[in-house]
Amino acid sequence: MSNAQYYNKKPWMKHYRATRTEAGEEATIHHLHDNLAALIQAAGQNYRQQLAFTTCMPNGMNGRLTYGEVDEMSDAFAVYLRECVKLEPGTRVAVQMPNCLTLPVVVFGILKAGCILVNVNPLYTKREMEHQFNDSGAQALVIVDMFVDKLESIIKQTGIKQVVVTSVAQWFPPVVKGVLKLVLKHWNRVIPKHQLDVDTIDQALKKGREAKSVASIDVRQYWQHLARSDTALLQYTGGTTGISKGAELTHGNLISNLEQVDSVAGDHIEPGKECILTALPIYHIFAFTVNLLAFYHKGAHNILVPNPRPIQNCQRAFDNYPISWISGVNTLYNALLNEEWFTVYPPPSMKVALAGGTALHKAVAERWRTVVGSPIAEGYGLTETSPVICFNPIGQERPDCIGIPAPDTDVRIVDEQGEPVAVGEPGEIIVRGPQVMKGYWNRPQETADAIKDDWFYTGDIGVMTEDGYFRIVDRKKDMILVSGFNVYPNEVEDCIARIPQVQESAVIGVVNDQTGEAVHAYVVLREESITEKDVIAHCKQELAAYKVPKIVVFWSELPKTPVGKVLRKEVRAAVTGD
Amino acid sequence: MLSPLEETLLSLMMVIIMFGMGSSLTFKDFRLALRHPQAVGVGFASQYMLMPLIAFLLSRVLNLTPEQTVGLVLIGCMPGGTTSNIFAYFSKSLLSLSIMMTICSTLAGFVMVPLLMEFYTQGIDDAFRIPPDQIARLLFVLLIPTLIGMWLRRKNSNIGAVIELMGGILGAIVILFLVVTWVPRNWRLLVETGWEVYAAVILIGVIGFAFGYLFSRVLRLNPQKARTVSLETGIQNGPLAALIVIMTFADETQQLILLMPVMYSLFIVINSTFATVFYRRWTRREELARDQAKVEPA
Repeated sequence: MSNAQYYNKKPWMKHYRATRTEAGEEATIHHLHDNLAALIQAAGQNYRQQLAFTTCMPNGMNGRLTYGEVDEMSDAFAVYLRECVKLEPGTRVAVQMPNCLTLPVVVFGILKAGCILVNVNPLYTKREMEHQFNDSGAQALVIVDMFVDKLESIIKQTGIKQVVVTSVAQWFPPVVKGVLKLVLKHWNRVIPKHQLDVDTIDQALKKGREAKSVASIDVRQYWQHLARSDTALLQYTGGTTGISKGAELTHGNLISNLEQVDSVAGDHIEPGKECILTALPIYHIFAFTVNLLAFYHKGAHNILVPNPRPIQNCQRAFDNYPISWISGVNTLYNALLNEEWFTVYPPPSMKVALAGGTALHKAVAERWRTVVGSPIAEGYGLTETSPVICFNPIGQERPDCIGIPAPDTDVRIVDEQGEPVAVGEPGEIIVRGPQVMKGYWNRPQETADAIKDDWFYTGDIGVMTEDGYFRIVDRKKDMILVSGFNVYPNEVEDCIARIPQVQESAVIGVVNDQTGEAVHAYVVLREESITEKDVIAHCKQELAAYKVPKIVVFWSELPKTPVGKVLRKEVRAAVTGD
Repeated sequence: MLSPLEETLLSLMMVIIMFGMGSSLTFKDFRLALRHPQAVGVGFASQYMLMPLIAFLLSRVLNLTPEQTVGLVLIGCMPGGTTSNIFAYFSKSLLSLSIMMTICSTLAGFVMVPLLMEFYTQGIDDAFRIPPDQIARLLFVLLIPTLIGMWLRRKNSNIGAVIELMGGILGAIVILFLVVTWVPRNWRLLVETGWEVYAAVILIGVIGFAFGYLFSRVLRLNPQKARTVSLETGIQNGPLAALIVIMTFADETQQLILLMPVMYSLFIVINSTFATVFYRRWTRREELARDQAKVEPA
């Protein structure tokens, strides 16, 4: 049997049967709606009276919206965009805010208006904002008041013609909102003054409602015709190649991913009964698809935490709500497990914790199972794949594994020539499925480089086991070539991490005259009681000589993404000076 | 000293403040504080063993007059003051533990104060009794508003959080008020008082903080609990000491002894403010560090 045949046989299929009794040879998928607007509207109708979103501040202050309210408000916002701002269907509308009540309302409003959503990281610098607004061609922007000062200086260089401003305390009870705004403005001083001509979110909704009733508009007309192939979202990703580009995700990509999640995790989700903690930012694809879309579709109560750092900020959310699901990254689970209030009183109603973004450490996963007593399932995906590609079937998780491919998804491990490698051999993970993006927005060359014959090249090096479980080895671009030998930075970082005094490290390859590339390690210490030599000595004991770092440098911190992934690219830039 | 009206007003404010502080707490917080019950024991020991000894030694070292010695040792023997809870709150220490320690030490003070005073200042023992109504007062000022605050927080976390904020602001205002009004009113006293009294009332607080912390760390309390015990140890119930002096002594002697609790009450607010700013930063650093720390294998 050739290598390709083995992957085509989908050895992971047998694991589906264990999780879904009614599934046959091919895991079945429930086909949902044709577009996200329809899905969102249906959920709004089905769970009308139930709580949809609660924003929980670190001190327990909260504001909430029911499904009915979210439905009505997002309708009004859709009308505002189409009738008052006069946006055409397919126009890009940017949203830049931390998790708060406004976020679901405007996101759903944009989708219902038939516009294309652009998620923007609120921590972006002016330069990054300008790039993303111009690259996406956004014409309207909904932004949180904390960051308008950055906007003010660059808005003239962009095509944005309408700005809507909101606040983290939006739609909190009046007194609480007033108090919170006072605190944010005068105590934390995070709300800058500005001269921009804007609509507040309340003004926008008011205008939308008026226009809606005057012309008796049925919002359905904006989205009824939308098909699965229509673009819904531009999700920007830095990738490893520098300039950030927009992954063009269609309604079909995102809905397919919901269906895929649903067909595997669905049995564990009771419609209308769950409560999910959203501590990860929704502008990130993981929380966007899983927390915002999938759990809204299931009628869950979504607890939004605007800022989970320090992790103490989540304590009231755990105290006050019966959290049954949580999504997070390794750093978040790690932080929770270091808190006494969490480990002594773990959330009693917790069913499943979903992990992604970066590798979930084995120690963290084991501790979670011991402390919380419920499964923690790691998944794998990328912005370009909406994001889920693989996950561990709930109840059959394996340590250090990203699990098995989602239903309807083909995954192969290939070599440099794109030919499948033998089972157990490392190679690049490539994927084909309904969740793979249309392409990079306005970048045909990059799209052609990433998607060949319908296969998306992830740039991750992985391994498949006999029975179809996958494991990530490293990023392809981070691989270091020392005298012709491949060194995977993850392996070296794992080795360094086993030194008790080390907190974390980043390992990169630096050009070297003798060996082509040399391994360099940038290490953050917990305790400053060891030297660079100790680190090298430790590595020498555990690693082959060519993998041992040539140079070890202690740093006070490492550059990271908003979800806590170490950015080796930026480490490299800082070291080489470009 | 404060006029009766001001005293009543202050008690009332204290009720409101504790109501606010209580709103920041849950029953879980108390259960967590009690998970290491030795913390209360350690606090108790540092309160009733360390502090009187420190006070006694300080009076010897600084060569205080007999009256001043009585005043200082009395402060050393006092239970924790209610203001310690405000400072525990602002310094992000364990408020639940602080409240429990204040209550326990006050109840125990009923027996401990006369006993210790007997030991350190022989002869005038019997006079130093905490008036029983002080206990009732404490329960009224501390326990009941805290419980109501907690209950409210449970019912509606929005109202709870707003009240917590109001309580915090009021707490800061009261502390500011105490400092600002006290100085102009008592400037003559401040000018006439000798350096050794200053040294005594400032040092007893500072040494109390330091030893309370070290003692707790030696007995293996975690740093946050140690900081709580530290504040609780250094901050004594100054007004209660003043009250006992007024009820026990008369005329000239009363005024001479009274000087100590009065001066102490002023400087402990200033001391504690510094300690609070310091501890608060420390807590924040720890929170961030915990975020990063490795999880120990299961």
